[in-house]
Amino acid sequence: MSYAIETHNLSYRAGKNFELREVNLRVKEGAIYGFLGPNGAGKSTTVRLLMGMLPAASGTIKVLGHDVPRAMPLALADTGYVPERPHLYPPMLVKQAMDYHAAFFKDFDDGYADELLQTFNLVADARLSSLSKGEMGKLHMLLVLAQRPRLLILDEPTDGLDPVARRDVLTALLDFCSQGSTTVFISSHLVHELERICDWVGVLDHGRLIVELPMHGFKQGIKRLRVARPPSLIGDTPFVLLLREQTPYDEIWVVRGWQAPMTQWFDGAGAELKEVVDLDLEEGFVELLRASRTPF
Amino acid sequence: MLGNILKAQWTSARAIVIVFGILAFTIPLASVFYGGDLTISNVFQVSTWLATSRLVGQAIPITALALGVLLGMSAWSADHSGRHVYALSLPVPRWKFVLLRFEAGAILMAGPVAALGVGALLASAVVKLPTGIHAYPLQLTLRFAMAAMVMYAIFFAISIGTKRVVVGTLSAIGALILGDIALGAIGSSPALVEGAYRLLTHWPGPLAILMGRWALFDV
Repeated sequence: MSYAIETHNLSYRAGKNFELREVNLRVKEGAIYGFLGPNGAGKSTTVRLLMGMLPAASGTIKVLGHDVPRAMPLALADTGYVPERPHLYPPMLVKQAMDYHAAFFKDFDDGYADELLQTFNLVADARLSSLSKGEMGKLHMLLVLAQRPRLLILDEPTDGLDPVARRDVLTALLDFCSQGSTTVFISSHLVHELERICDWVGVLDHGRLIVELPMHGFKQGIKRLRVARPPSLIGDTPFVLLLREQTPYDEIWVVRGWQAPMTQWFDGAGAELKEVVDLDLEEGFVELLRASRTPF
Repeated sequence: MLGNILKAQWTSARAIVIVFGILAFTIPLASVFYGGDLTISNVFQVSTWLATSRLVGQAIPITALALGVLLGMSAWSADHSGRHVYALSLPVPRWKFVLLRFEAGAILMAGPVAALGVGALLASAVVKLPTGIHAYPLQLTLRFAMAAMVMYAIFFAISIGTKRVVVGTLSAIGALILGDIALGAIGSSPALVEGAYRLLTHWPGPLAILMGRWALFDV
């Protein structure tokens, strides 16, 4: 299996309050990987570590097979990066920014860049200092898509954009992904947005990667169960019990790795499974976070 | 790649280059404003003219200093506001990117240097000098280029650093001045500031090139 991004026990510490602990990310080539987490979870820090912008305290990082930060320029030659706060040189014109960017990437596609300029309704002669946040975000997306990278790393690319700009950016991204086998690593706290486009998902909370699995596994495998007469001690289960909460009449369990035949386990345990509730990505995400923060 | 970086630097520093280009061109011409034919003047008039010319010439090191400082500081200003994120995402080794940036700034400096050279040559051409007095347009231009480059290199290096580096540098200077005042107040006179000044402005101090006479015309 080849991975576009691979970290092994990646750790980083910033002051006393924040620590990234032994993060093991594996992003398969060609995947659209949603990197989810609440604000302050460490998503942007992880992205900066992947980009070689921060030194890891321990652990290893490989991007497109290259060691980071040692061989960073080689990795960056095939990586498009949109930071959390897109910033280019304000005195430049849009066209100049495109020329500038193109000079660094041998595969930069001028024709595609011009096409995206139209799609995003950007004016070639506009000065960057006069662009709105949405326009700056779109310009940055234009630049990284036109460089035709093997890997796209997008850090909250639609955060703060109005709905129209957000739709334009996501549509262009999906359109681009449909043209080839680019790997996309997209960090966001906007869960419903990732649900539409990602096929893999990783969830980070308080600097720990709490889950990493295919999107269908996430959506289908995380369930909320209503259990009557639950056993006080739970031994081996065929699913992963994430959270257990008592209600006046029964218990609510949040489980991962759920499959329909597992209902039989409850008969054997003397419990009664009264309901299996499907969760969408957002609900699953919230339950995962609750579970990771309140171990039972 | 250098061409694109040069263009980028030009967009943010063109005002500096143009203003200092005009200034550098004008100063040598201003130094000959008071005389055209000195062969018919007496010794006293020539001496006065030379003194005036040297006085005007003192604007040249100040111009070199300001040009170098401003170009050095402007080299990274756009990157600072974006916390260098964009530059760090480009597939160029960091040392190479820094070198390219430095080269671009040095090339931009060629404008004002050339302007000074042309101004100095014109000024030399319009004056008829008496025997024993010579014009040094080329030497003056080279010295101006060197001085501006030294200042550019120093401030390029300071401005590439984080705010912490800049604050650290300024704090060290402030501490030196305060230490000097404090020691002076208790009767000791270590002359810290004076010592530092001497260290910087006397050979082989980096600012030594700015010192001394800056005259287009001399014996």
